[in-house]
Amino acid sequence: MRILELKGVNKSFGGLKAVEDFSLGMEEGEILGLIGPNGAGKSTVFNCIAGVYPATAGEIYFKGENITHQKPWNLCRNGLARTFQIVKPFSSRTVLYNVTVGAFATTDKRSEAERRALEVLRHLHMEDLRDVRAGNLTIAHRKRLEIARALATQPKLLLLDEVMAGLRPTEVDEMVKIIRELRENGVTIFVIEHIMRAIMALSDRVAVLHFGTKIAEGTPKEVASDERVIKAYLGEEYGTA
Amino acid sequence: MGRNTIRTAPLVLAGVIALGLPLAVRSATYLHILVLLYLYAYLTTSWNLVGGFAGVLPLGHAAFVGIGAYTSTVLSLQYGISPWIGMVIGGILASIVGVIIGLPTFKMRGAYFALATIAFAEGMRVIVENIDNLGPFRLNGPRGLQIPPLKTGLLNFMFATKEPYYYIVLFMLAGVLLLTYGISRSKLGYYLMAGGEEPEAAMALGVNVARAKLIAMAMSSFLTAFAGTFWAQFTLYIHPKSVMSLDISFEIAFIALIGGRGSIAGPLLGALLLRPVTDLSRIYFGGKLPGLHLIIFGVVLIVVMLYQPRGLQEPLTRAYRSITKKLFGHMEAA
Amino acid sequence: MQFILENIINGILMGSIYGLAAMGLTVVFGVLKVINFAHGSLLMVGMYVAYWAVILTGLHPYLALVIVVPVMFLFGYFLQDIIIKPIFKAEKDVREPITVIIVTTGVWYILDNLSLLVFGPQYRNIQDNPLRGKMLEVAGMLPSVPRLWGFFAALLTTVAIYWFFQKTRTGRAIRATSLDREAASLQGINQYKIYNLAVGIGTAVAGIAGVSLVPFYNIFPSVGVLFDIKCFIIVVLGGLGSMGGALLGGLIIGVIENVGAQFMAATWTEAIVYGLFLVFLFLKPSGLFGVKYEW
Repeated sequence: MRILELKGVNKSFGGLKAVEDFSLGMEEGEILGLIGPNGAGKSTVFNCIAGVYPATAGEIYFKGENITHQKPWNLCRNGLARTFQIVKPFSSRTVLYNVTVGAFATTDKRSEAERRALEVLRHLHMEDLRDVRAGNLTIAHRKRLEIARALATQPKLLLLDEVMAGLRPTEVDEMVKIIRELRENGVTIFVIEHIMRAIMALSDRVAVLHFGTKIAEGTPKEVASDERVIKAYLGEEYGTA
Repeated sequence: MGRNTIRTAPLVLAGVIALGLPLAVRSATYLHILVLLYLYAYLTTSWNLVGGFAGVLPLGHAAFVGIGAYTSTVLSLQYGISPWIGMVIGGILASIVGVIIGLPTFKMRGAYFALATIAFAEGMRVIVENIDNLGPFRLNGPRGLQIPPLKTGLLNFMFATKEPYYYIVLFMLAGVLLLTYGISRSKLGYYLMAGGEEPEAAMALGVNVARAKLIAMAMSSFLTAFAGTFWAQFTLYIHPKSVMSLDISFEIAFIALIGGRGSIAGPLLGALLLRPVTDLSRIYFGGKLPGLHLIIFGVVLIVVMLYQPRGLQEPLTRAYRSITKKLFGHMEAA
Repeated sequence: MQFILENIINGILMGSIYGLAAMGLTVVFGVLKVINFAHGSLLMVGMYVAYWAVILTGLHPYLALVIVVPVMFLFGYFLQDIIIKPIFKAEKDVREPITVIIVTTGVWYILDNLSLLVFGPQYRNIQDNPLRGKMLEVAGMLPSVPRLWGFFAALLTTVAIYWFFQKTRTGRAIRATSLDREAASLQGINQYKIYNLAVGIGTAVAGIAGVSLVPFYNIFPSVGVLFDIKCFIIVVLGGLGSMGGALLGGLIIGVIENVGAQFMAATWTEAIVYGLFLVFLFLKPSGLFGVKYEW
């Protein structure tokens, strides 16, 4: 049983068709990348999966269960977590507080949640930032906080939406390492990214979206040499970082 | 002296002072003022559960005060039910009403919720002002209900002197402060804060934001109704304008906002700072300048919102912390 | 039957004045995306300004518009500029500018109590104005003259506002800002000036409504409260941001009130209006013509 299955997903906003007939499967433990030019509909796919809005047509299955109309908080409790492209930290609170909110997804006790939050922070090498006000963090740390929060919910599947955007090359490399570690710890990861070298290095497989439809799917190598993909990206250089 | 001792010492001190105050203050008028002060602190702290922690703006809380006051009074006058039981029933009723208002409006923009609370509170006041009876219950319209002084005693929630009332309301205030503290450190508290600050992120982290807000609303309205019963038993006379007016709703909200909603000390501080303004202005300006204290509230509110949107508790706590650090810093365990 | 018709007509006339009052609110919302909770108080101020203008100069109430409109415009302009703008700026990225609601509620409170202090609680009216108590006789019915004047004032104002927003440069700038404030500012339009103008216009319209009311309505410090809530109700009914909706909503409220008053005490119609508001809020928050906003 695949951990994630999208069957013929369509999403329209009024008259605008953002995603058309999108089908995709994910195996447990893999890192799947989703790329495509700006506006291709990648975040829309994530939002449909994560329950922000329901797909207009088609079905989405998570761990075999139909989640097409599920709400985000229920999905989170079932092991599906996501980050946001534009980070949304609880700015007035400390880093620890932020992550603790996530940790409460699997426990009711504060001491337990805090303990787990600290563990996650340690994993991501952020424990010395625990008492820093989230609003005062650098963008790189905010992105990491976003991941930490989602991780604290103990997800089986993690959707990462452009976590590398705005990071410097060294920070990108660090992030790649972190994501690889996550996979080693048993988290299946679905990544949207623009930074080619990162996603090509990370992903086991890659899917390409263009104007809402999937135009290619395969290993990074296969996709990079696919003519349709190159055409879609005409004008965008491979190796942007 | 450990850090915890420094933090709790002033609270213990305040508690001791509060307990002993009636022995020092003999005048019934001043006791009365203190009782009202604590009552408003109680009201603003209860309001804070939904206005501060849940991040919405309820502007009609007097409705719950009214529900509490009328429920316990009608039940005790017509059916001889003890006001304590009536208090709990009133609380439950208020809770239900609060949830009904919250259910559709929490999903909307904050302004709609605020409007809904105003419309509901005013609507209820207008209805009560116009009807003499609600089914079998006598409400007496604008003339209100008078509670004849019965046998005094705890069971009847009726006392000849102010002291017992003082201790009851002090107990209520302490209770609600403790409750607020407990919630702020609980899952519900974290979830409310998250939902209020970044609802989308919170939902993605497993927070059912709407449900958390409803729970907060139910609690807040339940507790607020208690104040209504207390008021009825304290003043022995209730009528729509005295327990359900928009003035009361606004005063509660303004005080909490000026003190600092979302914090535990904020509403309490607000009440401590602003209630004296009301009482003093009534004593000194009484008939000559009616509503002066409300103008002051309004101005203070605007100024505070402009410069200290988190309320006065922020600069005050900061000042307090730096003072204690200077005085006791060297005594803190390493 | 004729009786009911007369009530409906008077209801429509009164309702048009309600619509006029609500239009000011909807203009402010359409541009600033905030509900000005102080709107009723602004209306009250407009009524007092009109009252004093007439008493002191002996002018015909509608001639007092010459004084009322600019005064109210400036009042609103500076209210926005001095008090609301700083908060707007501070809350620019916040999803929900609740502080603006808080502050406008504060303004409401200050204005109401200030006028209580300064003018006293007594009910005032202009006894011997040329319009008071007059009624026209049309087809055997007696529509009230001052309300008729109000009706025309409402129509004219609506047309004037519509023309302003569609045909003048400033008007189009305002519309642009209301659609996309960032894009508009990139075009060189000063956002904050636009907001000032919008609130100024909204307040001036409230002033016109005040003038329409002064010939037959009682003036007292808390008169704004009831109008405030009615305006909110109207604006929710008709749809936030829609001027036609405001007018239509006003007409509905006016008719309900007038017809209802024949069957029950006036205060009951008040409760019905609140009830209607809550019902609409729960069932169809975007109103009859409302622009869809994501909740």
